[in-house]
This record gives sequence, C-alpha cells and structure tokens, in this order.
Amino acid sequence: MSIIVQLLLNGIIAGSIYALIASGFSLIYSVAKFMHFAHGAVVTVSAFFLFFLVALLKLPFWLGFILTVVFAALLGLLMNLVVYKPLRNRKATNAVLLIASLALFIFFQSLMIALFGADIKTVRSGTISTGISFLGGIITELQIIIVLVSLALLVLLWLFMKRTRLGKAMRAVADNKEVAQTVGINPEKIYNLTFIIGSAIAGIAAVLIALEQNIEPNMGFSLIIKGFTGSIIGGISSVPGAVLGSYLLGLVENLGIWYLPSGYKDAIAFFLLFIFLLISPKGILGLKKGVGTK
Amino acid sequence: MIEAYLMHILILICIYIVLAVSLDLAVGFTGLLNMGHVAFFGIGAYTSALLVLSGVPFWVGLLAGAVLAGFAGFLLSLPTSKIRGDYLALATMGFAFIIESFMKNWVSLTRGPLGLPGIPRPSFFGFVISSQFGYLVFAFIVMLICALLIIKIEKSPFGRLLEAVRDDETAARTLGENVYKTKAIGLTVSAFFAGVAGSLYAHYISFIDPTTFSLLEVILLLSIIIVGGLGSSKGAIAGTIILLILPEPLRFLGFPSSIVGPARQMIYALILLLIIYFSPKGCFGRVQLGES
Repeated sequence: MSIIVQLLLNGIIAGSIYALIASGFSLIYSVAKFMHFAHGAVVTVSAFFLFFLVALLKLPFWLGFILTVVFAALLGLLMNLVVYKPLRNRKATNAVLLIASLALFIFFQSLMIALFGADIKTVRSGTISTGISFLGGIITELQIIIVLVSLALLVLLWLFMKRTRLGKAMRAVADNKEVAQTVGINPEKIYNLTFIIGSAIAGIAAVLIALEQNIEPNMGFSLIIKGFTGSIIGGISSVPGAVLGSYLLGLVENLGIWYLPSGYKDAIAFFLLFIFLLISPKGILGLKKGVGTK
Repeated sequence: MIEAYLMHILILICIYIVLAVSLDLAVGFTGLLNMGHVAFFGIGAYTSALLVLSGVPFWVGLLAGAVLAGFAGFLLSLPTSKIRGDYLALATMGFAFIIESFMKNWVSLTRGPLGLPGIPRPSFFGFVISSQFGYLVFAFIVMLICALLIIKIEKSPFGRLLEAVRDDETAARTLGENVYKTKAIGLTVSAFFAGVAGSLYAHYISFIDPTTFSLLEVILLLSIIIVGGLGSSKGAIAGTIILLILPEPLRFLGFPSSIVGPARQMIYALILLLIIYFSPKGCFGRVQLGES
C-alpha cells in the first residue's frame, strides 16, 4: 500500500516539474506554431547559470534565483530574435523551425559541456532532509514546495492568459495571426512576450530541478521529451491540457517502473507519445487538428 | 601515421555516405522528415556485431543487420504513416530514443553502457580484412554498391512515385497510388541501407556502445543531407565529405579532447543554422525542407 502512495507522490512531484516545462513549451507552440525544442536547453543553461552564481560566485540563493529567472527569460527572447525571427521572415515552415531549434539545443548543450565539463554538479548545500511521512509515503519539504510553486505558477499563467490584455492578445495571435494583426496587435511583439514568459517559467523549473536533483549538461534532453510528451498527450495547443498531460505522464512513468527496470523510465514517455499519436493525435484537451497537416 | 589518419577519415566518409544517401532517400525523395535514422544504423551495428561475435560468418551478420534494420523501418512506418512534418520528426526521434534505451538497458544482450568490445574484422571464407587499407577498399566497394543501388531506385519509376508522394500526397492518391504503402517501402529501403552502414561501422571501429547512436548523431546526419541538398545523392555525398572534414582542424589546434568533442557538435549545429537560413537548398538540393 505504502509503495503505491510513494509512487503516486513521486508521480505528482515529477508531474509538477514536467508541467512547468510543458506549459512554456505549449504556450510557445500555441502562439508561434512550432516546436521549440531548445526550450530544454533553456532549462539546462539556466540550471548551470544558477550553479555558476550560487556555487562558484557564492551569491546568496535568493539573488541567484532571481538572476536565473531573468537570465532564462532573456535567453529565450534572444533565441527568438536571433534565430527564429529571421527564419520566420523567410517564411520557414514549422519543420525547418523545429530543425533550427534542435540545432540550438545541441549548440547550447555542447557549450555547457565545453564550459563546465560533462560531469554532474550539485547546487544545493547542507544536509538532505529526511522528509515528512504522508499517508504512508515520504515527501520532503522541498518536494512540497516544488508541487506548490508549480501549481501556483500554473494558476497565475492561466489567470494571465484569461484576464489580462496581453494574455488576450497572445490568445488572439494563437487563434488567428492575420485577424489579430488587423485589430492592431503586433505578432512579433507577442512572440517576444511569449518567449519571455515561457522561458521564465523554464528558468523557475531549472532552479527547482537544480535543488531537487543534480545538474548535468544532458539533463535538458530528457526534460524536453517529458515536456513535449506531456503537451502532446494533453493537446499541444492547450496549456491546461499540457499541464494535465504532464501530471498523467509523471504518474504513468512512476507507476511504470514498478514493472519495468528504471532505465526504461525515459522511454515510457515515448511509448505514451506513440500511443497518443496513433489513437488521438489531438490529445485530451486539444481542439485544433494536431497531425501536422496544414 | 598521417597515412593511417587519412585512411581513417576516408573509411568514415565511406560509411557516412551510405548513411547520408539512404537518409536522403527517406527525407529528400519520400518527404519523410526522419530523425530516427540513427536507430537503424544502431540496429545494423548491434545485430551484425552480436551475430559475428557468436560465431556467424561476417556476410550473414551484415545481411541480418540490414534486414533487421529494414524491418524496424517497416515497423516504424506503421504508426507514423499518417503523420508528417514536425510531428513525424518527433515521432521518429522518439523511436530512436526507444531503441537507444534498449541498447542501454537490455544488458543481458547488449552489455548496456559498457558496449561491445572486440568485434572482429570482416572475413570471407577464411580471408580476413585486417589492414586498414584493405578495409578502406572494402568500405569503398560496399559504399559504391549501396549508393548505386539507391540511385537506381531513385531514378526508377518507383523513385518517381516516391517524389510524387512527397510533392503532393493527395494527387498521388487521386491517381490510385497507395501512398502509405509507398512511404512504408521508402522508409524500409532507407533503413535497410542504414543497417549496412551500421555493420560497416561496427566491424571497423571494433567497439560500439549506445553513445555512438545518440541524438548528436542525428544532428550530424541531418546537417549532412541539408548542407548537401535534399533530393540529391550527389548532395548527400558532398555533404558527407564537407562535414566530416570540416571539424578535423580542431584536432591540430591543440585543444584538449574534452573541448574538441563538444566544439565539433557546436560547429555542426552552427552550420545547420547558417545553411537553413542562407541557403535552404544546400549545395545540390532540388527540394526544400518541409516544402509542401
């Protein structure tokens, strides 16, 4: 019994982190209409930036945290301005943009290996807390914080999208770029804003991951796989769907390693992805046709 | 010393030409943005290596590797026949990831991350190709056969059918062609030749492990065919030669090897970004990526 509770808890904790990555990824997808794979690199580079600030420069943690989130937002914005915007101006298809983002991903991952080495780094200091017993399972304070921060951010993002002018403008561009343009919305500005918000959330995710686990240059790959699997399961054009899909993925993965060796954990995401591509390419909450046809 | 180094590069170029020309058959000719080609390369390498290590003659291992890779291509075409563009790219990449995780975790078969050492050099009826020059000649002949076969397929009526499916799936279907079957055959043939390349690689390097068949390799292969130009075997060959030689000077600039590896990947990534911006058709490309 307690094993099930523990696996469910682990699933929710993992799902919270995936949801943060998936929400940014699917936000960018729904507005800019391409798969920003390099979102995973934003997480990796931000985690290393935090490591650099806190572990090497010995800055106080709160300052490192703020700087990392700002850094993540700027990195995402920079990727959009330097790489994606020129390609968009050349009418690149979404497949071309995906390849560009893959190239960006590899570029930054390799840059981190060149700068910091391929080995594992730790940001957190002090002792590892023993955790609190919860319905027979164990959860640490940090893990509770991760779940709560993640939920709070997702609610804030949802409110921002529904209630504010900018959020509405983003949804307008997502719905129909041309119509949004005729009512005076500048899509390029909205793209910039989308990258800033999505990447800032990825920065927060990076800090939480760096505290909970060790960091390494290859971490972004498995994270972005989880992010987009969560997005596609839930319906990539829908941010709430992506969040739901991420929690589902976290649970399936953690219940799955009950049967499978833990090395297959990352492959579970792809099996799930295949099943959804086969049965329901629109995902759970997706409204738009999601099979890649125009 | 210099001779051995040059021959090493030339052998790798031969192997990668087989990979690139076969990938171009799927991406350039059939219009399938396949990011999982490296999985077929890996299946060919592991199958051939494991069989020959267990005492099977080399040519059986090579053929089995190619057939199994082709079969994997056929299997992959089943769930992915109806998706395209970026979704297909991700699904095929996911396939490569699943295969890689089998290589890492099916320890009783593949020895997992430890890899397979001591893969013997090819031998034909007692005659072993042990010298490097011998292997270069062997790899060159295999490359020539594969490339000519693929070019022959591309120039055949079936090749034109592949291009018709790529250019306008609906029109091809209206004319009574079975596009799913066509795409499945295209992917299967492409995977078959990647399996041949895998066997060539395994028996040359004599050691394989899962890292050889990772996502990084996908970027290199994509860069090769995009730099060379899609839909052109000449382009795939040119792209291979350019991209394999380009980062070589890094070795001689005195950087430590911990920098050379990532620097190579950064160069490939930058080249890919520059080429899709400045010259999306590459050197000899006839079609543009994702053109619909």
